[in-house]
Amino acid sequence: MQPIKWLVDFIDVRLGIRDIYERELHGYLLPRNVNVWYTLGAVLMALFGLQIVTGILLLMFYVPDSEKAFSSVQYIVNEVPFGWLFRMLHAVGANVIMIALLMHMLSVMFMGSYKGRREFTWLTGFTVFNLTLGLCLTGYLLPWSQLSFWATTVATDAAGAIPVVGDYLVEFLRGGPTVDNQTLGRFFALHVVGLPLILLGLVGVHLFCVKRRGISVPPFGTAYHTSEELPFFEHEKHPDGIPFFPNYFVKDAAVICFFIAFLLAIIFYAPAMFFPEAAFEKADPFLTPAHIKPEWYFLWAYQTLKIFPSKIIGLGVQVVFMTFLALLPFIDRSPERRPAKRPLFVTCYVLGILLFVAISIWGHYS
Amino acid sequence: MTTQITPPQRRKFLFILLGGMGALLGAASAWPLFRFLSPLAAKGGGKQVTIPRSEVAPGKAHFFQFHGKPAVVLQPSPGKFVALSAVCTHLGCIVAWQEQAGEFQCPCHGGRFSAEGQVLGGPPPKPLESFAVELDGDQLKVG
Repeated sequence: MQPIKWLVDFIDVRLGIRDIYERELHGYLLPRNVNVWYTLGAVLMALFGLQIVTGILLLMFYVPDSEKAFSSVQYIVNEVPFGWLFRMLHAVGANVIMIALLMHMLSVMFMGSYKGRREFTWLTGFTVFNLTLGLCLTGYLLPWSQLSFWATTVATDAAGAIPVVGDYLVEFLRGGPTVDNQTLGRFFALHVVGLPLILLGLVGVHLFCVKRRGISVPPFGTAYHTSEELPFFEHEKHPDGIPFFPNYFVKDAAVICFFIAFLLAIIFYAPAMFFPEAAFEKADPFLTPAHIKPEWYFLWAYQTLKIFPSKIIGLGVQVVFMTFLALLPFIDRSPERRPAKRPLFVTCYVLGILLFVAISIWGHYS
Repeated sequence: MTTQITPPQRRKFLFILLGGMGALLGAASAWPLFRFLSPLAAKGGGKQVTIPRSEVAPGKAHFFQFHGKPAVVLQPSPGKFVALSAVCTHLGCIVAWQEQAGEFQCPCHGGRFSAEGQVLGGPPPKPLESFAVELDGDQLKVG
């Protein structure tokens, strides 16, 4: 008897894994015209997995103390064998996650995949997006560089615009009047334990929603159809579809490899892309460097705060925009998902992306 | 006459009792958690800070820590001293003293303040906080 078959048999009679495989993987059918954009969820899970592994490795040398944090990161990068690689995979990987998250969200919006009673799927996904922004922000402070310090100062100070409790909230977030060791301690705890735990739970709920409701059919070609909204729960089945494993899994794996190649290409050929000069200077609480800029995915928020003369209006605009995105499935109630049949949505979608890009570029060069 | 309590009624009572106790415990643990996460009271609050006069030449600015926050004392004209918070009132960056222009500029969003801390331009909503400063011999006392 072959050893692998023997092992599978051994586990199967105890846990029934062949049944799970048949039901959840091979028997899990996806729409026949499912496209490459549907792989982004798997890509994100792979990239989050990479963040967890590299994060654990970095934790072995990182010291969360404002006197030692900067030198401990320097030590990881310059002294620990392959420390530079794991640090770069972690830091650049966060940026690639943001790219994949935006692509995932934009593709879901374009294909109207949030429709058909998928509000919970959208809401959990949108919360994962915001939590990832939180993870990026809390992780940003940990190297205790000038960039870290001042990006965190500006980001936490923005909470001061909230009437009545604003000033207290700023101190509460920082653990004191200014960004210091207390801030580093709480951001460290949030970054390595608090937020990842919540994120893992939410990703689980998101996957549950996706699986329970059923994958949406891409709104292209003859396979597209609008389904009538029934007054009870119905799982969207695809009886003539393709098996998730091995058919679609191979496509998932191929796109994951593409993203890993993209990540490695940045690390090896453009390592300074996400690291301005201020990222290599130790934090100095008395000196804000000139032309300090946040990460590219926060540039729109940074520039919005510059455009509006009042901080509360600048923040209010951001809150309104994010709330609109969060509530999109409740606002856009039409069952139509084909982009060609949704001219108003597609116009707003394209203009929205152009506005985001334009404000970000403006923020970068202002 | 005795009232019969059925097992479902007993279970319901226990559910309500345990649920209530759980809610109470949850509420009771919120206060210690809030206090644990709240910022600690700053040490040395209300105390004066002393700076040698020689540190603040005419036209120059000297940055120092005042009650846990960055502050600046400057001598805009000979014999006149001004002490201000160095924290920009827009988003908390530290203002930089521009000696040539005789004003403070914020590197983050371009806010400008006069030597007295008044807003000259940019997004800051209010002036820099000012502190009392007095000359005592060759020492400047702030606060």
